[in-house]
Amino acid sequence: MTGAVGGARPTKPRTWWKTVVVLAVIAGITVWSSIAIGVDVSAIAENAHNAANTLIQLMQPDYSFFPQTLPALLQTVQMAIIATAVSVAIALPVSFWASRATNPNSVALGIVRFIMNVVRSVPDLLYASLFVTVVGTGALSGIFALVLFNLGILVKLVSEALDGLDRGGQEAALASGASWFKANRQAMLPEVAPVYISQAIYVLELNIRASTVIGLVGAGGLGMLIDQVRTFYQYHYLSLIILEILVIVVLLELLSSFARRRLIK
Amino acid sequence: MTAVTARPTGTGRPGATGPTASGAPQRPSKPLHLGTKVIWVVVTIVVVAAFWSIDISWDALLTLPQKLVHYLGLMFLPPAWSKLPDALGATMLSVAMAWFGTLLGIVISFPLSLLATRGLMPAVVRWPLRGVFAVLRAVPEVVIAVLMLSVTGLTAFTGALAIAIGSIGTLGKWGYESFESVDRGPIEAATAAGASRLQIMRWGVWTSAKPDVYAFWLYRFEISVRASAILGLIGAGGIGKMLVDNIQFRVWDVVGMLMIVVVVVTMIIDQLSGMVRHRIIEGRWELPVVTALRRRSAKRARSESVDLKITADD
Repeated sequence: MTGAVGGARPTKPRTWWKTVVVLAVIAGITVWSSIAIGVDVSAIAENAHNAANTLIQLMQPDYSFFPQTLPALLQTVQMAIIATAVSVAIALPVSFWASRATNPNSVALGIVRFIMNVVRSVPDLLYASLFVTVVGTGALSGIFALVLFNLGILVKLVSEALDGLDRGGQEAALASGASWFKANRQAMLPEVAPVYISQAIYVLELNIRASTVIGLVGAGGLGMLIDQVRTFYQYHYLSLIILEILVIVVLLELLSSFARRRLIK
Repeated sequence: MTAVTARPTGTGRPGATGPTASGAPQRPSKPLHLGTKVIWVVVTIVVVAAFWSIDISWDALLTLPQKLVHYLGLMFLPPAWSKLPDALGATMLSVAMAWFGTLLGIVISFPLSLLATRGLMPAVVRWPLRGVFAVLRAVPEVVIAVLMLSVTGLTAFTGALAIAIGSIGTLGKWGYESFESVDRGPIEAATAAGASRLQIMRWGVWTSAKPDVYAFWLYRFEISVRASAILGLIGAGGIGKMLVDNIQFRVWDVVGMLMIVVVVVTMIIDQLSGMVRHRIIEGRWELPVVTALRRRSAKRARSESVDLKITADD
């Protein structure tokens, strides 16, 4: 080893103990979590027959149920569209407020960002169950829940896009005596518009998914129907509803991928 | 938005009709963008139709602010801190559910995403798998949990299984996408050195895809934490169950406290996981306050060492 000049390999850095520590921590958390939730493999084995029955029922969607699902389906789409429209309108000024690039006032910036962080960390279903108790069951509470849920996402994505923009135009506008509002309107808004529109489409897609679910707590739409059929274990109806959700989501995904490709071009 | 895009043609057209009398250079007329305009009209019609057709009593809006203030007062003035230990216990259960579900999802999805990677497996294997991932992604976790209720009953374990199944869809997709987007160089080198398919995977693909994949796993854990709170709302235990029980019995001060707990815990887990993700991708820790301080002291140290070097050279 001592005499070798060119042939000696560099010694490997000793990092095995780090790996061991990380693995031990992961294993520890896993053991704790499996005890906490009471992992019960035998329950699955015992209920295998049940599961098979459910699956068989799921595989045979009952298409005669389709006319009855139409009102709920329509309501889901309506809720998603209205919530998207409202939140898109609110999110535009708020995201200009929440971006360092467009808001020179750091105190206002901090406040808006903190509020949006809080808004974003509440799950959509929680908003829905709150509004159901405050406003009552129905589509209106669902729309409120979706709007709040959307605002969190939209403001984060759009304000981050604003942060990343080239600020040359804005600087020029400010230098020529424009107010911050005018500078943002003329120089920043056109730059961020494609991102904004594509995020709006993304949010519409999210809303369709979410509005099928928030009905579970009584906020209208397909979720309410899911709740009804699952209490009676009508899995052949349930699978039809799932199929409908799948079709809408896939259609929307196609539409949004097409629209985004156009926007980027 | 429509008004903004519609206006320019109105002002552009008069200029385009004839040569201007003044010697100023003539502005080119703005393009029409007929397609864009049609799209805006259609979007507006759809939105208006949705507003107009939905069956909602809009007068509920008038009393809403008053009600909201009333309920917010009940919730947060003051929140019931005496129930905090219960809430923390329930939160731990939710986090355990998310952890176990995500881990199970990782264990299942990892080999599957390898099988779905282009260049490793024939299309016959790839496309059905990708289809399965797509379907799993499209069905919300809550619906999966509803389906599983008949099998295992309404327990935290059911919730974890639902999270596992839900995360297979996203993790599988992210997995094969990151395997396919690795740099081809190492793969070529491994192939040229006579590596088997497995060895190519281990030394050509995995080494470059590793940081991304780890980061996706962590990100999925963050999503799972949110999902586990949601699963509780349909009865799978944890913080969500506690919330929905208290909402049903209208114990508003406990609801307020629980909401604070949900928000704080979600934020803390996002921060922690973000830090670990940063460590994995960038190779160093980024602690919010510590890094800023360290960066400052490092800058000072560097300038001092430059000074020293200059004096040493002299």
